[in-house]
Amino acid sequence: MNSHRRFVLRGLLLAATLGLTAHPVRAADPGITSNEITIGLFAPMSGPLTAFGLDALQAAKMWYEETNKNGGIHGRKIKVVIEDDKCNPNEAVAVVKKLITVDKVFFVHGGSCTAAAVAAQEFVTREKVPHVMLNASGDGAVIPATRYVFGAFAGTQRTVGATLAEFAVKELKAKKIAVIAHDDEYGVANTATLKAVATALGAQVVATEMISPRITDVTAPLLNVRAANADVIVSTAYPGPAVLIAQKYGEFGMMKTPLAQAIQGIPVPSAFAKNVGNDAALANFYYGSPLNDLTDGPKQQKWIAMYKQYYPDRTPSGFMAYGLPSAMAVTRALEKAGKDLTRETFIDALETVEFETGVIAAPVAFGKSRRDGSRGSLFVKFDGKTHTLMPGVYLWDGKAGM
Amino acid sequence: MSPLLLQGIAGGIVSGCVYALIALSLVIVYKSSDVINFAGGELVMIGGYLGMFALLWLGLPYLLIFPFGALVIFVVGALFDRVVLTKVAGRSVHGQSVLVAMIIATVGLSYMLKGIVRVIPYTEEVRRLPPISSGTPIFVGPVVLQHQDIAIVLAAIAIMAALWAFFSFTMAGKALRATSQNPRAAALVGIPVRTMSMTAWGLAAALAGVSGILLAPKLLITPDMGVIVILALAAAIIGGFVSLPGCVAGGILLGVVQNMIGVYVSSRAISLAPFLVIMVVLLLRPQGLFAGRAVAKKV
Repeated sequence: MNSHRRFVLRGLLLAATLGLTAHPVRAADPGITSNEITIGLFAPMSGPLTAFGLDALQAAKMWYEETNKNGGIHGRKIKVVIEDDKCNPNEAVAVVKKLITVDKVFFVHGGSCTAAAVAAQEFVTREKVPHVMLNASGDGAVIPATRYVFGAFAGTQRTVGATLAEFAVKELKAKKIAVIAHDDEYGVANTATLKAVATALGAQVVATEMISPRITDVTAPLLNVRAANADVIVSTAYPGPAVLIAQKYGEFGMMKTPLAQAIQGIPVPSAFAKNVGNDAALANFYYGSPLNDLTDGPKQQKWIAMYKQYYPDRTPSGFMAYGLPSAMAVTRALEKAGKDLTRETFIDALETVEFETGVIAAPVAFGKSRRDGSRGSLFVKFDGKTHTLMPGVYLWDGKAGM
Repeated sequence: MSPLLLQGIAGGIVSGCVYALIALSLVIVYKSSDVINFAGGELVMIGGYLGMFALLWLGLPYLLIFPFGALVIFVVGALFDRVVLTKVAGRSVHGQSVLVAMIIATVGLSYMLKGIVRVIPYTEEVRRLPPISSGTPIFVGPVVLQHQDIAIVLAAIAIMAALWAFFSFTMAGKALRATSQNPRAAALVGIPVRTMSMTAWGLAAALAGVSGILLAPKLLITPDMGVIVILALAAAIIGGFVSLPGCVAGGILLGVVQNMIGVYVSSRAISLAPFLVIMVVLLLRPQGLFAGRAVAKKV
């Protein structure tokens, strides 16, 4: 081979080597520019379940605006695009698709209703777009953990069951517990952790009444619970059946046995009391709450005041504060991810987030195999008029009942 | 007898009375037009909301919300028959069953009523009517009876008695019975068949609405409360779907069996109870408990 050919061959070899080892030119993820991050926010903003989402979404937006006032994150301001999912799974999928494919957001932050939030999981996973839930539990999408979905900032149903059991045993000194839960996957999940924690603490579950979410007559389940002679009755029922249970519990004069109700059955305590229609039935009644205080307690005043500054014409509902922990986790993760921000580095950063929010009872924490943000609850005694905070925060260890 | 059993029976009778009233509504429609009214549940729901509206917004005394609700829903039912069903029945296409079209019309009515309720802001908050009657529970042996439950049973009995009297002793009631048995013969003797059909629908709707008001102190008033119609359908099937006394027996039987299954089998099986009872009845007596062998054939 003559020297000229050898020279050309060496040159080609060098060029090929440089081409293979050179840093690839990567297209930036959508939704990021040098000075802006675009976040797709969604929640029910209309329809019968607006109460669950409107104030929570506005609280998250408020947090982002506060962040922007303080200079943004690594020089980038947060811009939000808002959509309404009406708490409906089909609508949620539609708005998530629109936010990702049309509005080209960096990630989606939303979902106040579990069914709607979970419905979006397949699409965001396929598109590799992070989804941070707003205030939905999103059990089906966070346990087991998958890479792109983070949620349960108010706790999953497993947390609900575990903390109810711990409260019943440690605070109410129960040795025998009667459980009323729904026969859907959430009821099965919360009952499993409830039983596991109760057993671990030395208590016995003496009755388990699994009822349909559409039940209209709870006579039989309450008769069975009465016959079981438990020390504490624990209910994880949804609002309608929860009212029926409290009514029937009062009608049967069972108030000597404490009744502890999970938060999902008592979204607005005053409305719950009005619907039960018998304050005597609530003489020995408790409910769980993921917040760190009563909704209008001293620890919540800071957030209520901030909300009123941003939305002076609106009285925040009890769900307002639920929108803050997820937004706080987002801004922390964006800070940790640094200037060289991609969807994957954002997820990696979210996995390392662990902090006290000053809003909810338990710290928010994620991990490589953890996607449920909060695992704690406190409890409130409620007699129909007065709320009394019970001492202690109750936590699920993430293992019992799994 | 075990206190558990007695309490279960007492509770079942109360629920069963309400199922019976709604079942009566379904059967009246069926007997007059051979149509199963799939909007029956939504008429119950509308009754609940009308009762709440009358009590809280119009400030009517509790006893007056019943005739108020009944009147309004009577008009809804009668109008539906006159405006929709008459046209649907009149547009029969050769080879196609008119009944299918009429049933689909009732499904449409059910969606429409639910949709209307959902868009009204007043209905966003979930509520319950205050009890018809309240006071210290009454103890009959080991059985606890609430004033509310006694009031429901008494109201149901009064309504059933009034219906029986209406159909047995009034010209209008007899004309309705004649029309349901043989419309052509009824027309031949001068009974205004179209008016009778409209009256039957109005009456059935009013019955469903009043059931909703009776239910409203016990259940939360929501757009989905009409799901109870499934139990009423089961009660009607058990009774034979052509027998008014059958509905009553079917409703009470269903209420009691539901509670017995919940107490002695499992709470999880409560929702299976209506279907189990239907299957047993259809296997042992397919025409229903109260339907006789011979059925008057419409000419």
